[in-house]
Order: sequence, then C-alpha cells, then structure tokens
Amino acid sequence: MFKYLNHVVISKFVMAITGIILILFITGHALGNLQIFLGKEALNKYAAFLQGLGEFLWIERIGLLVAALLHIITSIYLKLYNYNARPDKYVVKRYIKAKLNSRTMIWTGLMIAAFVIYHLLHFTVGSIQPENYKYKEIYTQNAYSVEYNANATSLSSQDNDNDANIGVNKILYERHDVYKMVVLGFKNPYISIFYIVAVILLGFHISHAVQSFFQTLGWNSPKYFTWIEKLSVAYGYFIAIAFLIVPLSILLGIIGSNV
Amino acid sequence: MKVKLHIWRQNGPNDKGKMVDYNLDNVSSDMSFLEMLDILNEDLILKGEEPVVFEHDCREGICGSCGLVINGKPHGPESGTTTCQLHMRKFKDGDDIFVEPFRSKAFSIVKDLMVDRSAYDRIQQSGGFISANVGSAPDANAIPIAKNIADLAMDAAACIGCGACAAACPNGSAMLFVAAKSSQLNLLPQGQPEKNKRVRAMINQMEKEGFGGCSNYYECEAACPKNISVRFIAKMNRDYFVAVVKEGTKV
Amino acid sequence: MKLDGKVPSGPIEKRWSKYIADLKPVNPANKRKFKVIVIGTGLAGGAAAATLAELGYNVHAFTYHDSPRRAHSIAAQGGINAAKNYQNDADSVWRLFYDTVKGGDFRSRESNVYRLAEVSANIIDQSVSQGVPFAREYGGYLANRSFGGALVSRTFYARGQTGQQLLLGVYSALNRQISLGKVTMHNRKEMLDVVIVDGRAVGVVVRDLLTGKMESHYGDAVVLATGGYANTYFLSTNAQHCNVTATYRAYKKGAFFANPCFTQIHPTCIPVSGEHQSKLTLMSESLRNDGRIWVPKATNDKRNPNDIPESERDYYLERMYPSYGNLAPRDISSRAAKRVCDEGRGVNATGNAVYLDFSDAIQRLGQQVIADRYGNLFEMYERITGVDPYNNPMMIYPALHYTMGGLWVDYNLMSNIEGLFVLGEANFSDHGANRLGASALMQGLSDGYFVLPNTINSYFGKGKPQTISTDHPEFKKSEVEANERINKLIAINGKETPTHFHRRLGKIMWDHVGMARNEQGLKLAIEKIRELREEFWQNLKIVGTASNINPVIEKANRVADFMEFAELLAYDALERDESCGAHFREEHQTEEGEAKRNDADFSFVSAWEYKGIGERPDMHKEELNFEFIHLAERSYK
Repeated sequence: MFKYLNHVVISKFVMAITGIILILFITGHALGNLQIFLGKEALNKYAAFLQGLGEFLWIERIGLLVAALLHIITSIYLKLYNYNARPDKYVVKRYIKAKLNSRTMIWTGLMIAAFVIYHLLHFTVGSIQPENYKYKEIYTQNAYSVEYNANATSLSSQDNDNDANIGVNKILYERHDVYKMVVLGFKNPYISIFYIVAVILLGFHISHAVQSFFQTLGWNSPKYFTWIEKLSVAYGYFIAIAFLIVPLSILLGIIGSNV
Repeated sequence: MKVKLHIWRQNGPNDKGKMVDYNLDNVSSDMSFLEMLDILNEDLILKGEEPVVFEHDCREGICGSCGLVINGKPHGPESGTTTCQLHMRKFKDGDDIFVEPFRSKAFSIVKDLMVDRSAYDRIQQSGGFISANVGSAPDANAIPIAKNIADLAMDAAACIGCGACAAACPNGSAMLFVAAKSSQLNLLPQGQPEKNKRVRAMINQMEKEGFGGCSNYYECEAACPKNISVRFIAKMNRDYFVAVVKEGTKV
Repeated sequence: MKLDGKVPSGPIEKRWSKYIADLKPVNPANKRKFKVIVIGTGLAGGAAAATLAELGYNVHAFTYHDSPRRAHSIAAQGGINAAKNYQNDADSVWRLFYDTVKGGDFRSRESNVYRLAEVSANIIDQSVSQGVPFAREYGGYLANRSFGGALVSRTFYARGQTGQQLLLGVYSALNRQISLGKVTMHNRKEMLDVVIVDGRAVGVVVRDLLTGKMESHYGDAVVLATGGYANTYFLSTNAQHCNVTATYRAYKKGAFFANPCFTQIHPTCIPVSGEHQSKLTLMSESLRNDGRIWVPKATNDKRNPNDIPESERDYYLERMYPSYGNLAPRDISSRAAKRVCDEGRGVNATGNAVYLDFSDAIQRLGQQVIADRYGNLFEMYERITGVDPYNNPMMIYPALHYTMGGLWVDYNLMSNIEGLFVLGEANFSDHGANRLGASALMQGLSDGYFVLPNTINSYFGKGKPQTISTDHPEFKKSEVEANERINKLIAINGKETPTHFHRRLGKIMWDHVGMARNEQGLKLAIEKIRELREEFWQNLKIVGTASNINPVIEKANRVADFMEFAELLAYDALERDESCGAHFREEHQTEEGEAKRNDADFSFVSAWEYKGIGERPDMHKEELNFEFIHLAERSYK
C-alpha cells in the first residue's frame, strides 16, 4: 500500500488529498466549537448529535485517522527523502520566496500531531482531566416528575442519592456535559495557553496548506492564484481565530463564568 | 571598489572542500561578476596558484553554463539574472561576497564551483522531445496555435537549464526544470500524442537522478534567471495525475 | 590544384532536386555499419547528428561543453529567414536567394545559396513540428518580422531567443536519438586533431577535459560543425570558449581554409566599458526595425541625448540610405557608425558609440508593444549598462560577430579531404563576403537537417570505407602530438597568462584587420602577430596539471591556435585587394566611402593551403560564376 512513496509527486498528491480532508474536518470542528457562544444547550445538543451518529461516527473517525496517518507518514517520508536530496548544505543561505510557514510545515505538523493526541485524550477519551469529563446532563423520570440534573457525573451516584425518594428513577435522556467540561478545562490558564499556541500553529500550517493543495493538484491558474494564496493565509487566520477564541473567551470570563 | 571574496574550493568530487578567502582591490562597478572572477583568476595564475574553476560560456545569460550561489542565492542578488549578467554595481565597496557551487544530491561537484548537471540531460533524454523525424513535418501553418498558448509555451521554453531551481530548492528538487520542459511540449498540439508518456518518463527519471520532491516553497521561481513560473509545476502535476490515472507509473 | 565545387548543372531551380534524384543512397540495412563522427553540437552539428541517426547511421557526437544544449547557436537572438511568403509580400525562394547572394556581395556560390533558400521553408516546418514556440499572430498563424538587407518580412522568431529555441529543438531531436541508442554523446571532449590516412579523414583525436586524457575515435566520415573564429579578435560577441582549433587543425592537416578575411562586424552591440571587458554583448539587429540610429550633428557634443533637439541630430543611416534606412545591411551600418565616430561625433565616454533611439516607436506604438517585441533585450541592456532604454536612447557600437570564412567545401559540404565534411559557420559556403541577419540559423539547420544527410551519400554511396583501427600509427602520432603540444605549453613557465596574450592579439586584429583594412596595416599586423606568437611561446604561464580539469590549459591551447590562425586571416585580407561585403580595404572605396568590388580580378574563393608555421600558405582559387544573378553594385540606397 505504501508503494506510492517511491514516487515523490504521487506522495505529494497523497499529502494534498489527505490534507484537504483534514482541513474540511477542522473547518467543521471549528464551526461546531463556535456554538459554545450560543450557550450550553446548543453546544451539548450538537455534541450529543455527533455522539448519536453511531456507526457513522466510527466511519468518520476511521476515515480521519487514516487520512491523518497517511498525511503524517507521507510527510515524514518526504521530509527525509528531501533532506537527503540536498546532503551538502550551503555555508550561507538566504531564502527569497520560501516563507517560514512553508519551511516549517513538518515541524508545525508534528507539533500539531502531538497536540491532537493530547486533545483527544483530553476531550474525547477524557483521561487528562477525568474530573471534568465525568459531568453529564441527565433527565430522569420518577412517579412525580421529570427531573433535570445538570451536575450529574454518573447514573449510579444519582441512584444512590435518590434512594430515599419514592419510586424508581427512570433515565429519560442522558448527555455528556461538553459545555461544562470545556469551560472547566479552559479555566486552567496553562491548558488554555497551550491550546491557543497549538491552534496558532495549526493556522500557520494551514496558511501554507490551502494554496499548496491547489498547486499540487494543478489548479494553479495565474488568474486566480494570487487570490488562492491570499485565501490560504486568510483561512489560516480564520481557523486559528475560530479555535482560539473559545479558550480565550473562557479565560477572560466572557463565557462560562456561571459554571 | 574593494571586495572580500569567500569562495568554495574543492579539488574534485571526493575532496572535502572549504571556503577560502581572497581580497580583491580595483574592482570596477561596470564589471560583470564573472569578469571580477576573471581578474581574481589572472592574479592567481600570476602567483602560481590554481585559478578558481567555474563554468561559463556565452556571458549573455542564455547558454545556462554559469551558475554560482552568491551570498546564499543562486545567481546572486538580482532577480531574473544569470551570474554572468550580474554586475558589480549591485555590490557595495567593502562587501563580503560568499561564492558557492550549486548544490543538490544530483549535482556532484566537478571542481571548485563547477558542478555536473548531466542529470538534466538525462531527464530530457527520457522524454523531453517530440518524435518528429526530419522530412515528416507538415507545413508550419497547418496547425494554428492560439497566441496565448504559443506564448505560454515560450514562457516555459525560456528555461536555460542552468540548475538554479534545484540549487535554490531546500529539497534539491528539479521540479521547475522538469515542469518547464514537459509543459512546453505538453501545451502545444504537436506534443499531444506523447503527452502522458512524456510527463511520466521525465518525472520518473527525475526521481531516479536523486532530486528531491516539491514542497511548494517556490524558492525555485524566485531563483530562476528566466523567471519561469511555478504554475508550470502545477501544470505538470495535473498532467502527471491524469497520466498516472490513465497509464500507471511504469514507464 | 584545381578546386572542383562539384556543382550540378542545369537550371538552378532544378539542381538540388535533380541532385537528390541522382544520388545512390546507402541501403537502410547497412546504414548502422557506417560510423559518423560529428564534432560540435550546435544547430548544424546537432541537427546533423540527430538526422543521420534518424536515418540509421551510427553517430558519435562530441562537444567540449557539459551538454549539447550550451552551444553558441543558443545566443542568436533575432530570427531565422525562410522563404515561406506567409506575409504575401512577394517573397519567394528566388528572392531569398537573390538577397543572400547580393547581401554576400557576390562572393558566394550560387548553387549553394539557391539550395539554402530552397530548404529554408522546410526548416520552419521541421522546427514547428518539434515544438519550437515561434511567435504567432492572434489567429494562431506564424508571425514574421523584417530584417536588415531585405525588403520583405520573412524572419521567423521566438521572442529574442530564436537561436535558443531552435537549438533546444535540435537538442531534443538529438536527445531522442541518444535515448534510442543511435547517437553516442561525448560531452566535455574537445577535438584536437583530424586523423588522415591515405588522404581520407578516418577519425579524430579528442581530449577529455575532465581527465586530460587523449582519445582516438575512428569514423567512416568526420563532420566538423565547430562554429566560427570571431574570438581571434578576443572581444567579440562569441561565447568565451568559441575557438578555431578544430577547423584550424584540420587546415594544418591539409583541408583548405577559405575566405578567412570575411569577418562580420555586427552593428548593434553594447559598447565596451573598460579594459576588464571579457566579451561584447550583441543586441539583436531586429532592434533596428523600430529603433532609429543617430549621433549629434556637432562633434564632441557631450549633452544628455534627451536634451539634444531633433534638429541637431543626424539620423545618418536614414540620410545616407533612404530606401533601407536603419535596416541597411550589417557591414554598411557598421562602417557608417565607425565613420561618424571617427569624425568625432561618437557618444559614450569612449566616443565609440552611437545612439539607437526608440522614443519615436514608443510614441507611435506605445511602450507595451515595444516591450512585447524587445522586452528581454531592453532588460538585458539595462542589466549590463545600468541605463533604462525606455527613457534614454540605447548606445551601440559594432563588434565582431560572425565569420563567413571557414573550411572550403564543395556542393556536398565535403572539404578537399575525402570524408571530411564541414557544416554551419565552420564552412565558408553560403554567405559570401557578408551574411544577412537571420541567415546563420537558416544555414546551420539547412546544412544539418537537409543537406548533409543527403550529400553524405555522395561519399558513402561508393561503399563502406575500410575501417581503420585506432591503433594505426596515424592515430598514435596525432595523440602524441596533441599531448606534446600541451606539455610544451606547460613547460614554457613564463610570466603572462593565456588571456593576456589573447587580449593583445585581439587588439592587433581589431586595429589592423578590423572594420577597415589597408595594405600597410595588414603587413604590420602580420609582423606583430609573429612577434606576439614568439613572445607567447616564451613567456606563457600555466598553472596546474594536464590530468585534471584545467581551464588555463584549455585556453592556452586555443590561444596558441589563434596566434597561428590570425596570420592566415591577415594574409587573406592582404591578398584580397578589393573591398567586398564585410571586407573593406580603404584603398578601394567609392567617393561616398562605400566598398568597391573588383569583379574582374577577385570573383573567386581564396582557399588556403597550410605550408608550415610562419610560412606563407598557398592560395588556391575557386572561380565564382554568376550564371543566374547579374553582378551589380551592391546598393542599399
């Protein structure tokens, strides 16, 4: 399957195609995150919707994983290959056109990859701050009423607490309290700053990536290309800002101060 | 004016090589860069030292022989200019000038600043032609070619095969050269019958020669003395994509 | 010895086709058994090597460059003539033929020139089919421009890089044959001798420039396409490595050198800026289509050109040659420039320059049109001089550019030595005493693509020549001599560099054998050349060894040949006691200072036979008969 690595240009195609898949995902992710500004209900509903996708969620996850792995493996292979293609370095070297973002793709990429692992452990698996991960919103029903418990952590504890009540609580609906998890997580300034740095790197990475995608796949008409280059940079800014605005707002107390 | 030269000296492909310093007085600002090196070499010969070997010939920016990395830039500080057409008026009195050979894995150093660029020839030999025997050509006006296409082909054809693109590329990649050469022919109606084979063969040979891949740094375009655009790389990528889908990678 | 041009008879329009019809071609199955050595891979050599390989011959091609693509043909800017009559301006093969013979001042062989004009159209077809991106009109058809010495628009061009594009076409054809294994390419190998056995050229000795090793190569035929000898003058528009060694050493082996004094000065070069100058840069003559040439009317006028009012400018070409104006042929406009500079009206710090002004054209057509036509030339000018030619007139001055003379060849392009063919600028055949603009590319490609691949049959048709082993004593002798010569150069161990001597030789040549020549100056030149040659062999300094790449040795070896060849050139100029074309003898001029031909006594090709260093060579004459074109005074008024 990795035979394509013997062809540098095909490897570039793989980079471009997997890259654009990841960019599309990231764009959706960023837009989804912004729902935090619409309030807890909107965000948690969205999160629940995603989690309710079932096998589709897993298809998406596997797809993204494959894309990410191909992107990373190919990039590392290309980097080593390209490094070897210029074994003797210049004593003096000045770059004219190669911008910092293009020259640091591998490094920003690897840092982003490391961050993504952290991020998944943090908010998807929940092993970084398990105390924040456990919160759930639960609607329960007993003989008298439908109750909403916004600060539930698990059903069993709920059960125990409610043992004295009359009747048996039946869980009507339960969803992960993503809002609370996120807010509590980002109230930690170290974590917030770490995220902010990471998404700036991501934006930086993307500012080269978008136009690179067009160039690699050959959609580079002189009429549009200057616009594509501008779009690429704008897109990098957009992604970085869309992501960092969430921890920044929490840190500044603009949102989530009531949690 | 006076200049302080730091020049890469290397006796042969297997020698280690090092920077050697030379001071040169009485440089005229009207001199070309190579004429300045001529003066250095004349001095060295009179002193009984071996002159600095560098490749050059036409000295009017078209043969593609010359090519030095001057102060970290292939062909020096002036854009769109070959080393031979660079003039000393672009430097200041007392400047330090670093002169190195073109570097890429596929360009081995012959001596001092002279490198072996035969890899470019082999890439061309792999498919950079239209198979048209003498005698078989129809009238030149039999196939009209839109002016914009002819002009674009000419933009690509302006490549002088100097190697600055590979020297400038952090990956030592020859993509701009291969793109210019394949695009010139792939753009024209005459080049259509061999279009797919050409681009596959040339890219295949480029890989075999040990050139790196493209990371879209666009450093090649900036260094190209003929200002060849990286859009030709995009075109080649597109051609290659289609060719590989249709015919696979085996040449 | 009677020189036989082997020109076919009959009506001139039928000669070439009849010649081809009468050829006895080699059986296709046998062609691969014929090994052809081609020295030089420019337009002529590269085209010949590729075409012979297409036909099935076993070709070995040699260049001293790292790649065939670097040959100096690449530097031709303006264009290539062809009698296509695409412009419907009454062009024809006949008119191109007539213009070329007239432009050459009636010192070329009619049949050769007619053939050249005839195949010119095929060259364009061939080049287009190879993907040469000639300029086109919006309708998609080929564009033309006009050029000096012609009243029709028949020049095809690819921006200002026509030579490059044609050479890349040749190079691609050559590459194809290399990839097919039909051409064996020998890069970085310089020919130092032709080996002759029993009066037949059987191969060459070449020096590997990387290792210094001499190699012998056998060939059933040897083709020299090694360009011209303008670098005899040190400063010329030729590339740094262009040299006379290959043709001169063939001459020393008995090949006749024809018309060496026909050296062309190009009128539109960038003037010399100082002693350090290593070469002169030409700007395409096509600039004269839209640029107007002038000098101030007053002598020693040091004003900024933009401050000199119209009434105080002398557009001397338009004044002297009203019908051709700024498009007067090269020799005429060069000498006119020299004349106005000699009058003290030259410009630039040196006083050796005239203005080439585009302000009228820019006003008439707009800067964009001018930029489209000449953009790269304007850029080049600005790069070299630091002056912006859109807003200031360019300065130009004539420089040595092309040499019409070369090894003598017959109609088959074979020299007087059996099996030794000479193509392109290296031969003498088509341009007479002066070459018209955009005709060099035409001749190189015509020789390489169309003429030699046919005429070589005249030699091979007699059967496969007997193979001579490279162990033959003649090969060994040539190798030893070539080595000894280099060792001798190294052993001098004097005090001056090869370039130093070259520069001094150039000065002698430019001063006395340059644009205007006279008996006294030529005799003086011969004396000075001999003295300089003697000094060269006593005071040359070379460093490094011969067993590694060593540009000093390469240069010294070439300069040594220039030192001998220069004398031959001067002899020819002295002997040709008339003015014709580019050869201007001050003793023979009209009252207006135009060249005055002497057809009664000098309507011949002078072919020189080597008699030893410092010895007077023997001159053989090939009489030129003009059966079809009436000899007339060459007037461009």
